[in-house]
Amino acid sequence: MKVLIIEDEARIARRLERMSVAHFEGNVVVNICDSLKKGLDFLEKESIDILLLDLNLNGRDGFEVLQTITARSFQTIVVSANTENALRAFELGVLDFVPKPFDQDRLSLALSRATSVKKDLDGSLRFLSVRKNGSIRLVELTQLNYIKGAGIYTELHLLDGSRALHDKGLDALEKILPPGFERIHKSYIVQIGQAEIILVSSGSKYSLRLKNTEILPIGRSKYKAFRARMELSGKPHATPVQQRH
Amino acid sequence: MKRILLVVLLAFLFCSCKKQVLYEEYDPIFKTGDDASWSAKNLEEKGWSKDRGLTANRVFWIRADTKLISKTDGALGLQVEAFGAYELFWDGVKIGVNGKPGSPMVREIPGTEATYYQIPDSLSKPGIHKIALRSTQFGYPKLQRGIGLRLDTYVELIRRPLILSSIMFIMAGAFLVASLYYLFLYFNSHKRQYPVLIFSVICLLFFSLLLTEYLKFYIEIPYTKFFIRMEIIGWLTFSISLLVPLYFCIQFGIKRKYILLFPLFCVLLFLYINNYGHYDISARYYSMAMWLAMMIISAIAIYKKEKGALLVITGVLASAGMNYYLHYDFGIFLFYTFIVLSMLYLHTIRMQKIEQEYSDSLLLSSRLQLELIKKNIQPHFIKNTLTSLIDWVEESPKKGAEFIQALANEFDIMNAIAEQSLIPIRQEIHLCQMHLKIMGFRKEIHYVWEEDGIVESENIPPAIIHTLLENGITHNMPQSDGTIRFKLTFTKTPHQRQYTFDALGKNREVNEGQSGGNGFKYIRARLEESYPGKWKFMSAESSQGWSSTIKILN
Repeated sequence: MKVLIIEDEARIARRLERMSVAHFEGNVVVNICDSLKKGLDFLEKESIDILLLDLNLNGRDGFEVLQTITARSFQTIVVSANTENALRAFELGVLDFVPKPFDQDRLSLALSRATSVKKDLDGSLRFLSVRKNGSIRLVELTQLNYIKGAGIYTELHLLDGSRALHDKGLDALEKILPPGFERIHKSYIVQIGQAEIILVSSGSKYSLRLKNTEILPIGRSKYKAFRARMELSGKPHATPVQQRH
Repeated sequence: MKRILLVVLLAFLFCSCKKQVLYEEYDPIFKTGDDASWSAKNLEEKGWSKDRGLTANRVFWIRADTKLISKTDGALGLQVEAFGAYELFWDGVKIGVNGKPGSPMVREIPGTEATYYQIPDSLSKPGIHKIALRSTQFGYPKLQRGIGLRLDTYVELIRRPLILSSIMFIMAGAFLVASLYYLFLYFNSHKRQYPVLIFSVICLLFFSLLLTEYLKFYIEIPYTKFFIRMEIIGWLTFSISLLVPLYFCIQFGIKRKYILLFPLFCVLLFLYINNYGHYDISARYYSMAMWLAMMIISAIAIYKKEKGALLVITGVLASAGMNYYLHYDFGIFLFYTFIVLSMLYLHTIRMQKIEQEYSDSLLLSSRLQLELIKKNIQPHFIKNTLTSLIDWVEESPKKGAEFIQALANEFDIMNAIAEQSLIPIRQEIHLCQMHLKIMGFRKEIHYVWEEDGIVESENIPPAIIHTLLENGITHNMPQSDGTIRFKLTFTKTPHQRQYTFDALGKNREVNEGQSGGNGFKYIRARLEESYPGKWKFMSAESSQGWSSTIKILN
């Protein structure tokens, strides 16, 4: 586990480091940068798993950089005094927001979110930041059709038919996406609103037809939960239909 | 309101213009000498002249015809305007005296200029009537002043001046109240403003002018003293004609106003000398000179786009129109009323501006106070401090206690200075030192405070060095020995006091942006609050770090 701490207060940075080490019981490499610039330079060269970021860094508005950072593959946890910014941070796709002052329990909670598979967020994410040709583009979640895993990246399929690559893997994205998104397959997350009907073919193969007629596979292990979910959201054609060949 | 006043005024004018008595008048004839028979209605007027000639200390007679055409019910009255002392005869019957005519042996008792007599009913039938005056004018032996005779109902003759003076005294009362109000305002305001005093004086002059003008209707002034009143009116008009343009120059902020006012003064003086003795004409010329000056001033003000200039020029033009159509006395007073109304209007505009500025300054002061208080409760400061504090307490309770003490000290100082606009420099330095102590605990950087030339008796707006210090902490990194030094230097010359604040460290990357914006705004606002227009503030990167200079000019 690799953790980067961007924090200009030496005492707090050391506290974060100590608590991270304690949380991961030593199985962690922690780096500390005391300025945002140093942090960004570090990220250019090294890859990490978790970023602990002080949002109000040397007076510069952290949001400018938050977009850049959340487009990356690692999970970002904001550690900040300015709690009024928390909501905006979540909208941009941070995993957690730890208000200062914090203790071991609160930081551990955030860190375990980064490593667990359990999804317990209330879904404040509104945008996914996408890096393209060196610039950052914000993709509104409502524009998403479905997300396909593509190795360590993900492919965002948008309603307008276009695609965008996201640096975060499907597992990482699943952790921050709101309840309107459902993992239906090890390689697919769909926006429930775009799902039309579940198709069952012979040999208990399940698939999902989207409103734009695209068909995506449904994982056997995901089928039951997804069907319940479809019924819950009142889809008129939620009952499986036998498809004849 | 202005319009209602005008309508009422005109109504009065019209009702008094309605003639109840119709008559024809003829030029009077004169003869020096004394003969009781000259009072007779029918007299062969041989050797009587249309020209009075010099009567010196002799008795002279005046005879005039008047043809009464018709009259309404009620007693007929005669108004006589003449200088001297006289006995008055109507168709040979003595109907009154004014003063007592003198003789070579007896001194004259002077009469007054205007008198009113009731004519007996038996003598006021339509037809030709003869008015005769047995008169002396010892007071002004060389003056030949015309004689005015007017017929009307007696009641109307008496009532007319009453109505006129009552309207004028209402105006006079308004001027008196305005004058007193602005006088009190001048003496009781924090910032004594000359325009207010000038306005008060102008109002007082108007009041005196109206009073003097209409005094004649209820105080009997012997004709020998008649010109004293005229002289007073002349000087009052003179002063008003000079002060009113001065007031407008000040209100419109016209620079080099004396270039305009000095020629005006010369013109007024010339008019006084040139028309000496012709009081009505002088007063009229004064008003015209003032009118011209007012036109120039309002034209300049319009050019300068001053607020209210258009209203003033409208008032000035309107009053010129009024003056043309109305009787002289009314015209001039209407003109003055217009002027005063525009002055009042300008004054309220000005007051509004002053009030606005005052409330703005109050607002600014309280905003600055709030900003000062916020410094210590803003989340970035307090929460980072508390986080470090928890960490210190967990690691070393003793150090933690020391940290808490430093924090408490900074709060104490902040609390003490929160409502001040100036504090002793030593208090400011204590605040900075406490802040450094706290930041030392937080950042684990060795901060060093140095000072040079500090004069303990000096004052400074609160937390401005503190603000510079905060910026220095944010934007500097420690030097290789792990320290950041801050140095406050004070120098004083006869012309200025100067604080130089140096942050000696490595500057952080320039592209991180200087967040000094808000802090600098606070410093500038505080300096302007305490030293309006007399300060300079510079802040720039230096070879050793960051250097800021505050200059306070004496």
